[in-house]
Amino acid sequence: MNTISPTTTAKRQLTYEVISGGSGLFLALFMWGHMVLVGSILTGERGFNWLATMLEDYYIAQPTVAAILLLFVVHAVLASRKIPAQLRERRKMLELSKGLNRSGREKVPSASQFSPFHPHTESLLWIWQVRTGMIILVLGSFHIILLGMDVLTELFGTRVGIEAVTTMERVQAGLWLPYAILLVCVEFHASIGLYRLATKWGAGAMLSRTAIHHIERVLLWFFLGLGVVVLLVLAGVIPPPLAFLLGGGS
Amino acid sequence: MSGSLLSTDVLVIGGGLAGERCAIEAAAAGHNVLILSLVPPRRSHSCAAQGGMQASLGNCVKADGDNPTLHFLDTVRGSDWGADQEVARIFAEEAQIAVRELAHFGVPWTRVRGGKNSYFIKGERVEIEESIENDGLIMHRDFGGTAKWRACYAAAGTGHAVLYAVDSEVVRLGVEVRDRTEAVELIHDGSRCWGAVARCLRTGEHYPILAKATVIATGGYGRIYGQFTTNATINEGMGAAIALNTGVVPLGNMEAVQFHPTGLIPSGILLTEGCRGDGGYLLNRDLHRFMVELEPHKQELASRDVVSRHMAQQMRDGKGVETPYGPHLWLDIRHLGEEHVTTKLREVFDITRDFVGLHPAHDLIPVRPTQHYSMGGVRVNKDGEAYNLAGLYAAGEAACWDMHGFNRLGGNSLAETIVAGRIVGRTVAAHAEGFSLDAKTGLAFGATRHAESRAEDWLGRSGDGPSVYELRDAMATTMMDKVGIFRTGEELQEGVDELRTLLGECDRAVLRSKAPGMNPELTFALRLKNMMRLALVTTEGALARTESRGAHYRTDYPLRNDAEWLNRTLVRWSVDAPEPNYSYEPVGLIDLPPGHRGYGSDERIELTMSVEEYNADVDEKQREHGKLETVDPIGTRIQWGAWEQAV
Amino acid sequence: MTAKTTQAGRRLRFEIFRYNPEDPESTPHMQTFELDETPYMSIFIALNEIREKQDPSLQFDFACRAAICGSCGMMVNGRPSLGCRTLTSDLPDVIKLHPLPVFKLIGDLSVDTGTWFREMVEKTEGWIHAQEAFDPDAQETRMDDDTAAAIYENDRCIECGCCVASCGAANVNEDFLGPAGLNRVARFAMDPRDERSDADWFEVVSNQDGVFGCIGLMACHDICPKELPLLEVYGYLRRKALSSAMSKRG
Ligand SMILES: Cc1cc2nc3c(=O)[nH]c(=O)nc-3n(C[C@H](O)[C@H](O)[C@H](O)COP(=O)(O)OP(=O)(O)OC[C@H]3O[C@@H](n4cnc5c(N)ncnc54)[C@H](O)[C@@H]3O)c2cc1C
Ligand code: HEM
Ligand code: HEM
Ligand code: SF4
Ligand code: F3S
Ligand code: FES
Repeated sequence: MNTISPTTTAKRQLTYEVISGGSGLFLALFMWGHMVLVGSILTGERGFNWLATMLEDYYIAQPTVAAILLLFVVHAVLASRKIPAQLRERRKMLELSKGLNRSGREKVPSASQFSPFHPHTESLLWIWQVRTGMIILVLGSFHIILLGMDVLTELFGTRVGIEAVTTMERVQAGLWLPYAILLVCVEFHASIGLYRLATKWGAGAMLSRTAIHHIERVLLWFFLGLGVVVLLVLAGVIPPPLAFLLGGGS
Repeated sequence: MSGSLLSTDVLVIGGGLAGERCAIEAAAAGHNVLILSLVPPRRSHSCAAQGGMQASLGNCVKADGDNPTLHFLDTVRGSDWGADQEVARIFAEEAQIAVRELAHFGVPWTRVRGGKNSYFIKGERVEIEESIENDGLIMHRDFGGTAKWRACYAAAGTGHAVLYAVDSEVVRLGVEVRDRTEAVELIHDGSRCWGAVARCLRTGEHYPILAKATVIATGGYGRIYGQFTTNATINEGMGAAIALNTGVVPLGNMEAVQFHPTGLIPSGILLTEGCRGDGGYLLNRDLHRFMVELEPHKQELASRDVVSRHMAQQMRDGKGVETPYGPHLWLDIRHLGEEHVTTKLREVFDITRDFVGLHPAHDLIPVRPTQHYSMGGVRVNKDGEAYNLAGLYAAGEAACWDMHGFNRLGGNSLAETIVAGRIVGRTVAAHAEGFSLDAKTGLAFGATRHAESRAEDWLGRSGDGPSVYELRDAMATTMMDKVGIFRTGEELQEGVDELRTLLGECDRAVLRSKAPGMNPELTFALRLKNMMRLALVTTEGALARTESRGAHYRTDYPLRNDAEWLNRTLVRWSVDAPEPNYSYEPVGLIDLPPGHRGYGSDERIELTMSVEEYNADVDEKQREHGKLETVDPIGTRIQWGAWEQAV
Repeated sequence: MTAKTTQAGRRLRFEIFRYNPEDPESTPHMQTFELDETPYMSIFIALNEIREKQDPSLQFDFACRAAICGSCGMMVNGRPSLGCRTLTSDLPDVIKLHPLPVFKLIGDLSVDTGTWFREMVEKTEGWIHAQEAFDPDAQETRMDDDTAAAIYENDRCIECGCCVASCGAANVNEDFLGPAGLNRVARFAMDPRDERSDADWFEVVSNQDGVFGCIGLMACHDICPKELPLLEVYGYLRRKALSSAMSKRG
C-alpha cells in the first residue's frame, strides 16, 4: 500500500478527531451519571445497595463497565496523540503557557482601562488537563478494574456485585485518598474538556465564550462539591444527609 | 563582500500596490519578474490607507450620474491645474476597470444595500433609499473635493484589503519577492537603466541585479519630515533618491507636499477628518477654541491647508502644549458623546485607545499638523518611463506621473497605484525584450563596488562627529518649521542654509556601532545623505516657486500665478555634482482651462497666453527636458472638450 | 479632567534578548537598558530611543507604527504583542522583550514573519480560484453586502504572527497551518468568488496540520491584536469538514 489518497487520510483524521472528542464527551456525561449513582449513598446504604442490585440484576452494570473501560482506553489513546512527544517541546509549551498566564497579573497603577495585558489561562489549563489525564489513566484504570471485579466476581464481600459495606470499608481503609485525587482530577479534566470541546466546534456562534466558561465553572463546582460530600459519607466522616428520604440509616 | 550577480527581465523596486500591480502585468505577459522590498510586501505602507479608492462607477444614489469626465474634472481642479491633464484623463477612465479588477482579485468591497439606508452626512443622519437594481454593486463614500460620492471602500481597511488581494495574485503567479532587500543604486550607462544594486537587510551584503526593465515603486518620502509625518518609517524616499543620484533622471515638483491637520502625537498617526466633520473642536494650550476667531465662517471645517496653517501659527506663538516630542494642540470630541465616538468614529476611538491610552469621549486628544503625501517624485511620461533614462520606469507615490499636480485628492492615490501599475506593467512587458544583459556585467559590478565603498566609508570613520540620528532630527525640525504648511521666502532660505550645513555634516558623522550584518545604524546612515538631498531639493524648489498653488502655500506670494508658474519643477542632481540643477517644463496639454477650483480663493494671476498657444509647444518642450517617446503620441487620450457638457 | 499630559516619572528597565547570528562572536543573552518614561511612550518609541541613544546595534522591526502593517510582533513580558501599540504605561517597571518564537530569528527582536506567511499563502493557495478571466468591460459581479462584510472580518488579519507565536500547538508542530493560516483558509472558503469545492477544502483542513492541529488553547483568540474571531473560524472549519464528509457519504 504505497499510495494513500489524501481524501482517505483526511477522512481518517476526521474520524479520529470525532472519536477523541466524542469519547471525552461521553466519559464526561458518564461521570455525571456516575456521580448521581454513587450519590445514592447520600440516602444511606439501603438506597445505594438497592440501586446497585437493580443495575446488576438488569445487566446494566456489567456491560457498562466493559463499555466504559473501552471508551476510557480509546479516549486516552486518541487524546494522547496531541501531547507533544518530546520533553523539549512540552517544556516549551509550559514556558509559553506560564508566560501568558502571568502576563498582566502584576499591578500597574498607570495602566489604562484599555490595557491589552490580561492573563490568559486556557493554555496553562490544557497542560493541567494533560497532567490530570495521566493521573486519571492510572487511578481510573485501577478503579475500573476494581469495580469490574466487584461486579463480576465474588472476590470482595459476600455476594457478587457492588455493596455499600464493602465500598465503605475499603474507602475507610485508605482508598479515600486515591478517590479524592481522582475526583478532583476528573471533575477538572472533564469540565475544562467540555468547555474546550464546545469552543472548538464553534458553540461560540450561539453562546459567548464567557457564557460557556461560566457554565463550565458552575458544573465543575457542583459536581466537585457533590463528589466531596459523597466521599465524606463513604469514608464515614459524616452521616448520609438524605437518609430521611428512606426513613433512616442502615 | 559582494554576492553573485542576478539577472531578470523585469526588476520592480517596491512591493507596495504600484510595484506589485505592475509586476503582475509583466509576469502575466510571461516575463521573469523580481520584486525587491524593504519589508514583506504586505507590510508596505499601502496597507495603511483606510478611506477609499476613487472610481466613478456611480452605483449609489449620491453617486448617480458620475462618470470619468467628472472624475477628471475634480482631479484637475484638485491639482490646482498642476496636473498633466492627459494623464488625469487616462487615470479617470481606467480607475473604473482597476476597481472592478480588484473585485475579481478578491477585494471584499463594501456593497450597495438596496432599500432604505441611513448615512451620516456632515454630522446629520440622513435616510436614503438605494435602488434595488443596484443592490450588491460596489458602494461609494464621500471624500473631500469631489462632486459625487466616488470612493470605493472595503469597510475601514481599503488599502489593506487591496494590498492583500494584489499580493495574493503575485504569489499565485509565482513572482519572486526578495523582502528585506533595499535597492541602493541604479545600474545605468547614462542613457539606459540596466537594473540596480541591492543590499540585503539580513546580512548587509551588496549584489547587483541586471534587468531589461527597472521599475521604481518605492512610495512616498514623508520621512524627510522625521516623525512629523503620517507615513510609515520606511517611507524614506530611496527610490526617488537613487533616481536623482543618476544625475540624468529629473524629479518633478518635489516642493508639492501635502499636510494633514490632525496627526496624533507623538507618533504622527493619522486621525481622520471625520473628527472635525462630525463637530470636533481644536483647542490650544489654554483650552481656547482659536479657530472660531480666526475663521469665523467655517471654523474647524476650513480646508486642510487653512486649518493646518492656523494650527502651526498657534504653536509658533507658544500656544502649543510642550512635550518631549515637540509642541501639540488638542482635538476635542468629548462633546460628541460616548456612543457617537465609539461607533461612528470607531477608528479614532481605537487609535487613541491604543496609542495614547485615552478615551476620546473623556479625554482631549493631542494632535498637530503632519506631513501626509508626496505629490512629487521620479518624473515619467504617460507610459511611466522616466525622463532621459530608457528602461527605467516609476509608478505610484514614488512617481511624478503627474495626475496630482500640487494637491492630490483623497482616494486618488490608491487608484493611481493600480491604474499606473497596470499601464507601466503593460509598457514594461512590451519593452523588456530583445536586450542582452551579458555585456553589462562590468557595469553592474562597478556600481556594486561603488555602493560597497559607501558602506566601507561609513564603517571606516572614527572620531567624534555627530550621530546620524541627531542629523536626522535636525533635518526633520528644519523641514517642519521652514518647509511646512505655510512658507515664506525668508524661512525657506533659512531652511536651505540649514540643510546645506547638515548635508556637510553628513560627511563628518560617525557610526556608534560597527556590528556586522545588516547593522541598523549603518542601514540608516546609508540613507541619510539621500534623504537630505531630497529635503534640499524640496526646499529649494519651494523657495524658487514664488506663487501659491495647491499644497504649496507662500504667504509672501499668496496667489496662484498661471502667467509664470503654470509649469512643473524638474530637478537633476548627480551624486558627484556640487549643485542641483532646476528647470521647468509645461504641465502638459491643457484641456480644462485654468480657473477657479470651486473652493478656496478665486483670486489668481491669469494665464497671459491662450490655451492653444500654451499647448502648441508642450510636446517639444517636454522632449527638450528629456521626455522619451511614448507608445501613443501626446494628446491622443485627451477627450477634448468633453468636460464642457459636465460643467 | 481635561487630559493626561504626563505620567508618573518612572525609570523603566528593559531586559532585551540579544543575539546577532551574523556575528560569530555573539551569543544569546539578555541585556538591560534603563530609560525615563515619557508621556504616551510605546515600545516603538522606547526601542528607538534605546537604539539612538544607547545601543545602535539593536535590531527590531517597525514599519507603520500604527498597528496596521504587522511588522512589530514581539514578546512583551511573555505575551506576543505589537510593539507599536503597546504603551509602557500599561506595563510594570521591568519590561522583558523577546523575539516571537516559531519564526526564524534574524537578530535580537527581529524575526522573519514574511517568509512564514508567504509559505502559508502558497500552502493554502490563498488567492481566489476562478475559472473565468477578468472582463474589463463588464460590470462587477454582485455580492451581498453582508457576505462582503463577513469576508472582510477575516480579511483583516495583518499577518503579525502574534497568534502563531502564542499557540502552543504551533510552537511544537512546525507544519501546523496555525491560527492565521486557518483564518486564511476560512476567508477563502467563505468567499463565493472562490470556486474551490468543499472536497478541496476538506483535504486542506481535515488533518493534524490543519484544523485538527488546534487543541483549543485559545491563546490566539485572546492575543490577536486585531481581535479576529479566530475561535469562530475553527468552529466553522470543523463543522465544514464534518458536513462535507457526511454529504459525500450520503
Ligand atoms: C495614513 C495614510 C492614509 C492614506 N489613506 C489613503 C486613502 O484612503 N486613499 C488613498 O487613495 N490614498 C491614501 N493614502 C496614500 C496611499 O496609501 C499611498 O500613496 C499609496 O499606497 C502608495 O503606494 P505605493 O505602492 O506607491 O507605495 P508603498 O505602498 O509605500 O510601497 C513602497 C514599497 O517600496 C519598498 N521600498 C521603498 N524603498 C525601497 C528600496 N530602496 N528598495 C527596495 N524597496 C523599497 C517598500 O518596502 C514598499 O514595499 C494614505 C496614506 C497614508 C500615509
Ligand atoms: C473519565 C475520564 C475522562 C474524561 C471524562 C475525559 C474527558 C475529556 C473531554 C471532554 C475532553 C475534550 C475533548 C476535546 O476537546 O476534543 C478531553 C480531552 C482530553 N483528554 Fe480526557 N477525559 C478522560 C480521561 C482521560 C485520560 C485517561 C486521558 C489520558 C491521557 C485524557 C487525556 C485527554 C487529553 C490530552 C485531552 C485533550 C485532547 C485535545 O485537546 O484534543 N483524558 N477529555
Ligand atoms: C466503569 C464503571 C464504573 C463503575 C461501575 C463505578 C462505580 C463506582 C463505585 C461503586 C464507587 C464507590 C466507591 C467504590 O465502590 O470503590 C465509585 C467511586 C468513584 N468513582 Fe467510579 N465507577 C466507574 C467508573 C469510574 C471512572 C471511569 C472514573 C473516573 C475516571 C470513576 C471515578 C470515581 C471516583 C472519583 C469515585 C469516588 C466517589 C466520589 O468521591 O464521588 N469511576 N465508582
Ligand atoms: S490572526 Fe491576528 S494575531 Fe494572527 S497574524 Fe492575523 S492579526 Fe496577527
Ligand atoms: S492557540 Fe492554538 S491550539 Fe487552537 S485555539 Fe488557538 S490555534
Ligand atoms: S509597526 Fe506596523 S504593526 Fe506595529
